[in-house]
Amino acid sequence: MRQYMIRRLLQIIPTLIGISIIVFAISAMVPGDYITAQNNPNMSKEKAAQLRQIYGLDKPVVERYFVWAGNMLKGNLGDSLSHKQPVTKVMNNYVWNSFIIAFCTLVLSWLIAVFAGVFSAKFQYSLFDKIVTLLIFICMSLPSFFIGLLLIKLFALEFKMFPVGGMTTAGINAHGWAHIVDVAKHMFLPTLVLTMLSTGSLTRYFRTSMLEVIRQDYIRTARAKGLKERTVIFKHALRNALLPAITLLGFELPALFGGAIILERVFVWPGIGQVYLESINMRDYPFMLGFTIFIAVLTLLGNLLSDVLYGVADPRIRLK
Amino acid sequence: MRKRMSLLLVMMLLSFSVLAACGGSKTAEPATTGETVTEPAKPADETTPQPEPAKEATPAGSEGLYEAADMSLNPAPAANRKDTLIVGMTSPKGVFNPLYGETTYDKYVFDVIFDYFLQVKGDGTYENSLADSIDVSPDGLKYTFHLKPGVKYTDGSPVTVKDYAFALKVLHDASYDGPIDILSFKVKGGQDYHDGKAKDISGIKIIDDNTIEIEVTEPTAYTRDTLGTVPFIPEAYYGKGYKQGDLEYIKALHDKPLGSGPYILKSFTPGQEADLEANPNYFKGAPKIKNLIYKATTDETKLAMLQSGEIDMDHVTVNQDNVDELQGMGFLDVNIFPTNGYGYVAFNFKEKKFQDQKVRQALVYGLNRKEIVEGVYGKFADVINIPQSKVSWAYTNEGIEPYDFNMDTAKKLLDDAGWKVGADGIREKDGEKFKINFSATADNPVVDALLPIMTKNYKELGIDIAAETLDFNAIMDKKDKGDFDMFFAAWGLTPDPDSTVYITKGAQNDVGYSNKTVDEWSDKGKKELNFDKRKEDYKALYQELNKDLPAIFMYQRRDMWAINGRVNGLEITPYKDFIYSLYTAELE
Amino acid sequence: MSLASAPLNTNVEVPKQKPDSPWRIAYRRFTRNRLALIGLFVLIMMFLICFIGPLFSPYNLYDYNLADKNQSPNARYWLGTDKFGRDILLRMMLAGRISLLVGVVATTIAVVIGATLGALSGFYKKSVDTITMRITDIIMALPTLPILIILGAVLSDLKVDPSHRIYFLMLIIGLLQWPYLSRLIRGQILTLREQEFMQATEALGLSDHRKIFRHLLPNTIPIIIVWATLSVAGAIITESALSFLGLGVVQPTPSWGNMISAANSLIDFRKRPWIWIPPGICILITVVAINLIGDALRDALDPKMKK
Repeated sequence: MRQYMIRRLLQIIPTLIGISIIVFAISAMVPGDYITAQNNPNMSKEKAAQLRQIYGLDKPVVERYFVWAGNMLKGNLGDSLSHKQPVTKVMNNYVWNSFIIAFCTLVLSWLIAVFAGVFSAKFQYSLFDKIVTLLIFICMSLPSFFIGLLLIKLFALEFKMFPVGGMTTAGINAHGWAHIVDVAKHMFLPTLVLTMLSTGSLTRYFRTSMLEVIRQDYIRTARAKGLKERTVIFKHALRNALLPAITLLGFELPALFGGAIILERVFVWPGIGQVYLESINMRDYPFMLGFTIFIAVLTLLGNLLSDVLYGVADPRIRLK
Repeated sequence: MRKRMSLLLVMMLLSFSVLAACGGSKTAEPATTGETVTEPAKPADETTPQPEPAKEATPAGSEGLYEAADMSLNPAPAANRKDTLIVGMTSPKGVFNPLYGETTYDKYVFDVIFDYFLQVKGDGTYENSLADSIDVSPDGLKYTFHLKPGVKYTDGSPVTVKDYAFALKVLHDASYDGPIDILSFKVKGGQDYHDGKAKDISGIKIIDDNTIEIEVTEPTAYTRDTLGTVPFIPEAYYGKGYKQGDLEYIKALHDKPLGSGPYILKSFTPGQEADLEANPNYFKGAPKIKNLIYKATTDETKLAMLQSGEIDMDHVTVNQDNVDELQGMGFLDVNIFPTNGYGYVAFNFKEKKFQDQKVRQALVYGLNRKEIVEGVYGKFADVINIPQSKVSWAYTNEGIEPYDFNMDTAKKLLDDAGWKVGADGIREKDGEKFKINFSATADNPVVDALLPIMTKNYKELGIDIAAETLDFNAIMDKKDKGDFDMFFAAWGLTPDPDSTVYITKGAQNDVGYSNKTVDEWSDKGKKELNFDKRKEDYKALYQELNKDLPAIFMYQRRDMWAINGRVNGLEITPYKDFIYSLYTAELE
Repeated sequence: MSLASAPLNTNVEVPKQKPDSPWRIAYRRFTRNRLALIGLFVLIMMFLICFIGPLFSPYNLYDYNLADKNQSPNARYWLGTDKFGRDILLRMMLAGRISLLVGVVATTIAVVIGATLGALSGFYKKSVDTITMRITDIIMALPTLPILIILGAVLSDLKVDPSHRIYFLMLIIGLLQWPYLSRLIRGQILTLREQEFMQATEALGLSDHRKIFRHLLPNTIPIIIVWATLSVAGAIITESALSFLGLGVVQPTPSWGNMISAANSLIDFRKRPWIWIPPGICILITVVAINLIGDALRDALDPKMKK
């Protein structure tokens, strides 16, 4: 196992080099640059040329790649062109806001999905199962911002229970406990929507895996032995139904830090998703590249994590 | 997978936000999420009298200030906020330095922190702010600025013209990467300083702490105003580490600005809010509103936040739905005014078919612009026939052809130009089929109506049209490569009518348009110092542009601010943002 | 717990009384499932209505009538009109052609590639696994949006007819989505290949091809089906976002996705439900139908279900 881990970690290096080359090539091929993206009507050709020179955009692509990659190795991702600050600082400003929502959503949606999935499977084709299934499909068929807007209408405008958006109440400057309560209040609606959305697909996966496992002979055997139903389901069946969940868990790692753009817009949550999208639209290369690589590393680690967990869930799986 | 898709979905959402994001200085509407702050605007000539708004009939309810109907409906959070104004806007980037800030939202913050010799007035002309008086030599080459005495920065240090000279120096520095194109100001010796050939800028003469003389090599009608809108930044604070050719240290101060303006930045939380406090020693008098908060909002929810009282004012996209909704809330003042910009369809003048004036005229007659504009904006936009705002002093409708939709005229013009309908119903000339590849930036609501209507109209004209929607930068790229037939975009306007969009080889004339008459009138207008004569020059220019049609001029739409009725005394016009009257505003 | 011998009686190879092929059994099971038939019927009807329906409409794609904009459903416009006065019913049917095609084709591409590669890498492990999984790593790490922007610009430069770009779009959605399925399948195969029934196939000396496609992959069908239903809906919605980059359909051509996103504010949401409810319901019906078929397909193919 340890050997496998080490080899996989070593494999990350060439993979990352490959990714960095492709990503950089993509950024070079995307039409336009930071100067054209601003579309400043007073930008003369001379001024544009000056700026390109300052930003190093006038150099050949290969040279630019090595400058960028070299700096990255030293931990320097450069300065964001539109924020005029180091990329790492900008990321740090926003990424944790995204993280707390994504983390709460992750915990909630997995908890709910396990139970909903298991009961849906156990009572397949029951009313409960049908309602859950229909709800999931409705959530999938409507754009998420509708659900967000609807909740705002209900909870923020009609019942006035929660604020419409933002992360804190403007100008209160609360500290300590008061601050936490304030943030929690603002977090409630976006977390609720995100949970509703991600629980759906997870539930489907759990339900399916459980259906598979429940029919197997050893479950019948376990029941025949007179084990309690709860033990049978949650201890014996669930564990074997976990494999697809582990793969999905691996996918969640980059998602934890990636931000949820639509929800950030609907609830004015100061997350990283919007900042990243804007950097793409504005051709803010340093930020766009830096964040892409950051997410790439998390993707690789997430997949590695799930490969390792396979072995834990099912000891017969031996990856070498 | 979920995440991937949501990233894409946002592309759709963005399309709704862009319009609302178009603040006054937005340059081209279909642009990106960020916005450009234009340089210190090119203002009108100093002798400019009050502008004469065009006396054209505007549909009732489509323009002007509509006061709140019933303040008793004001939600408690807003009504109870006695000394704090919360302005909703897209979150700024945190570049609170007037030399560097690029977005309108950063500008909203730094322009209440810093001061200038001049300040814009509601009609787009300028009045003295920090300047006591300004002397201009008769040849327009020397500008002497006299600073008001006794003004202090918020740290107590005195404001002197040295700080102004320092700002000019920073702008001329070779490592300066902000948005201002200082070399176009033509300050004498500026180029040498930029190139590192001189230690000082020879055209800047500091006479005493309150007097400075600037010499330029090329006078224009607006040099005085461009020079007057260079900010004062305290040299003692920003200049501590200044060495020619190295401005890195200034960037560290972006989120800790120090100026002499009406407000002081207390704190900034990226993506959330910027908190400001009134400057009690402001030289025009302490602001009446003690706290000013800029809170991040997005298009999706700004209406809800106005309704819940979480914000006091915000810029909202103008359409019938939004206007009805805002007025329906009862406690909001709604201020609707013409956007300082226009939408257009560009031709590629490298292609022979578009070089023919008759063809261009036919393409305008044969396009139902009225339906397009009405379909999207209802009564909140006008079809235009010259590239100028109807509230500008340079606007004219004398001798302007309105190009009302007329299929027959269009067909006749194409016939006259030699484009005859071929056997397959497509027009052709010298064996070439009339085919148009049309590109449009998709993040503009006009495109929704433009594509179906244009496709239908031009097919009827006998033109083979293929329409596509593309990323904004991809279109700009096609434009730079000259690889397009026609595309849709929009221009922002500056208060001064001088522009390089339609002059031969002009900086922004990237479609290859060239017309000697246009060049002549533009040049005359740029250099003419007498206002009335200048006005005549632009009238002649617009008449020529209207006849020759360098582009299909489409529409000028409206902007709108919704403001809680308890806020009084804000002056907002197409040229003057609310920030410039904040220090006189009051809360009820 | 892992006495699991379940799939041992994997039938197929063990000759039974009747020379029924497993596919015939599956077919019979499938046709006996009433819900599945309803699902199939609905899906076929959707296709038929979308492809034939517009022929009976008094309106056509290029029609618009600003005088009739934003009308609620009435006798002239059965489902109302949009903000340019276009008939929603007609647009919904025309949109279905695009959306159904996008959803089904993109998903099929992803399933074929994803399932095959996932199965191969899970079965052979070692270098096959390493290479395939590193490819999935890379694709998953790539920034989608810039790639799509480039693709849109390239198609535009090559002057590909805008109405044909939808095919590239289906391809690209498929190509970007398969790694996720691939990893799911691989995970399943990794555990399935260690189970006892595989030792049986070993003992019988079956070929790798047979092991993978006859015995391993059918056991992952439940996961494939869940993934595919989610992906069809996802692709339909994604298409509308891609129109903006010169990849999807262009106005006036409708798709369910762009019809839904035409209603973009709380005001539309509240005041004009006829704009977004019909396309929303179409997506919902499609997804439910596919899911019913999928569930039945799984039951039909499941060797453990004996009747």
